[in-house]
Amino acid sequence: MKRTFGLAFLFAVAAHAQWIAYPTPDLPRTADGKPNLSAPTPKTADGKPDLSGVWVTRGGYTVNIAKDLKPGELVFQPWAETLYKHRLDNEGKEDPQAYCVLSGVPREDVVPYPFKILNSKGEIIILYEALHSYRQIFMDGRALPKDPNPQWMGYSIGHWEGDTLVVQSAGFVDNNWLDNSGHMGTESLRLTEKFHRTDYGHIDLQVTIDDPKAYKKPWTVNLQLLASDTELIEYVCDENEKDLKHLVGK
Amino acid sequence: MRRILSIWLASSALATGQWVSYPTAGIPHSRDGKPDMAAAAPKTSAGKPDLSGIWEAEDQTYFRDLADGLKPEDVVLTPWAQAIQKQREERDHVDDPLGQCLPHGVPRVNTNGLFPFKIIQTPTLIVILYEQLGLFRQIFMDGRKLGNDPNPSWLGYSTGKWDGDILVVDSSGFNDKTWLDTFKGRPASEELHVQERFRRTSFGNMEVRATIDDPKAFTKPWTTTAQKMHLLLDTEILEFTCNENEKDIQHRVVR
Repeated sequence: MKRTFGLAFLFAVAAHAQWIAYPTPDLPRTADGKPNLSAPTPKTADGKPDLSGVWVTRGGYTVNIAKDLKPGELVFQPWAETLYKHRLDNEGKEDPQAYCVLSGVPREDVVPYPFKILNSKGEIIILYEALHSYRQIFMDGRALPKDPNPQWMGYSIGHWEGDTLVVQSAGFVDNNWLDNSGHMGTESLRLTEKFHRTDYGHIDLQVTIDDPKAYKKPWTVNLQLLASDTELIEYVCDENEKDLKHLVGK
Repeated sequence: MRRILSIWLASSALATGQWVSYPTAGIPHSRDGKPDMAAAAPKTSAGKPDLSGIWEAEDQTYFRDLADGLKPEDVVLTPWAQAIQKQREERDHVDDPLGQCLPHGVPRVNTNGLFPFKIIQTPTLIVILYEQLGLFRQIFMDGRKLGNDPNPSWLGYSTGKWDGDILVVDSSGFNDKTWLDTFKGRPASEELHVQERFRRTSFGNMEVRATIDDPKAFTKPWTTTAQKMHLLLDTEILEFTCNENEKDIQHRVVR
C-alpha cells in the first residue's frame, strides 16, 4: 500500500506548482477578515442550493474509499474478491491512473485534487484538476440511456430532492478503479451521489455503489468536500513521465 | 505527410463510436420543419451573444496550416523559430506533442475539424470542453487581468470580454513547447499572447479569428483569416482517453 500512496503524493507535488491567486468572488468573511465557512449556503436564482465553486475532498479515502465500512457492509462477488486481492498483492501495478488513463467516477470524489462545479443551462459541469478531465451532469429531465458507449466517467443525470442534488450515473467501463487499492467498478455499476451543501464551506457527499456484478449488495460511503479559495491548475499526466518504470508489482 | 494524416484518422475512428443521441433544446426551425441554421444568433438574458452549444471546425484547414490564406510576408518567423520549425520538419513531425497525448495549445485546440467542442457560457465564466484529449479551458469573464508571470501551461490563462457581438479572449502564460499547427509545425515561445475573436454569425455558424503576438517567434503579430465553425445538433461530445490501448507512438519514427 505504501507504494501506491507514495505515487499519489508524487503526482501531487508535480501538480501543485505556483498559480495565480485570485480572490474568490463573494466569499463571506468573518469580522477578522477570514473566510466564513459556516456562512449560509448560497442559492441560485431559481432558489436551489448553489454548489458552484472549487472543492477538495476531505482526505483519507484516496487509498481505500471503503475504509469506514464495517465488516459485512461490502461483500465482494467471489471473482471480484480474487481480483481485489490480486490488485493489492500486485501493489497497484495495473492502476489505470498510473498510465494516464482517466481516474473515473467516483474515484474523482476521493483523489486529493480540487475540482470545480459550475451551473449551466440544463446541466451541471464538474471540471477535475486530476488528469485534466471533466464531467457533465444533465439536469434537463432526460433518463439514463439504456446502452451507452462505456466511459470511465460514465453518463450522469441529476435532479433535486429538497436541498440535495441527486446524481445518478451508469454507462461505465468494465475495469474501473474506485480507489488506489483497487476496489472495482464494472459495466453493471449504477452510481448514486448525493451532494448536500450544508453551509458555505462544506458539502456532504454520500456515494452509493450498486454494482451487482462485483458486489453482493449496494454499499454507501459518506464523504465531505471543503470549499477552496484557489483555482484549478493544468495537470498534464504524460509530460516528463518517470514513474511507470518504477511500478514493478510482484 | 500521409503518416500524420493517417494517425489523425485512426484517432477519429476510435473516438466517434456510438453515442446517445439526445435532441438539442431550443432549435429554430424553418417553414419546412428543418433546423434553421441561418436563423439569428441567440442572446443571453443579459443581451450578450450566447455562444453555448457544440461546435466543430469546418475542416482541418487551420489545424494543418494556421496561416492559410495569408501571404508569406504576413507571417515571418524569427531565426530562433525558423530553426525549430526546420528541426520539426526534418524529424518528420514525430515530436508533435499531440502524438504523445500532450495538449494542443491555443489556438490549435479549436482547429481540428474531426473533434467537436462544447461551449458552456455563464455570465462570469466561459468554459470550453474539448472532445479531443478531453481538455477544457476556462475563460474568466469577471474583469480580472492576465497574470504577469503565471505558471507556464499548454493551454495558457485566458480572460474574455465582449466587443459588440464578438467574444474577445486574451490568453498568455503558455509554455514554449507548443506547435501552432500540424503540417507547418510553427513554434511559439513563452512570450506568446493569443487573442481569439469568436463571432456567432447565425444560429448555426461561428467565425473565429486568432491573432498571434509572439516577438520571440515572429517578427510581427499576425491574424488568421476567418476560421469557420458550425454548430452540431442532437449529439454530445464523447469521452476521449488518449492513453488507453495506445498503439501509435512506436510507429512514429524518423525516416
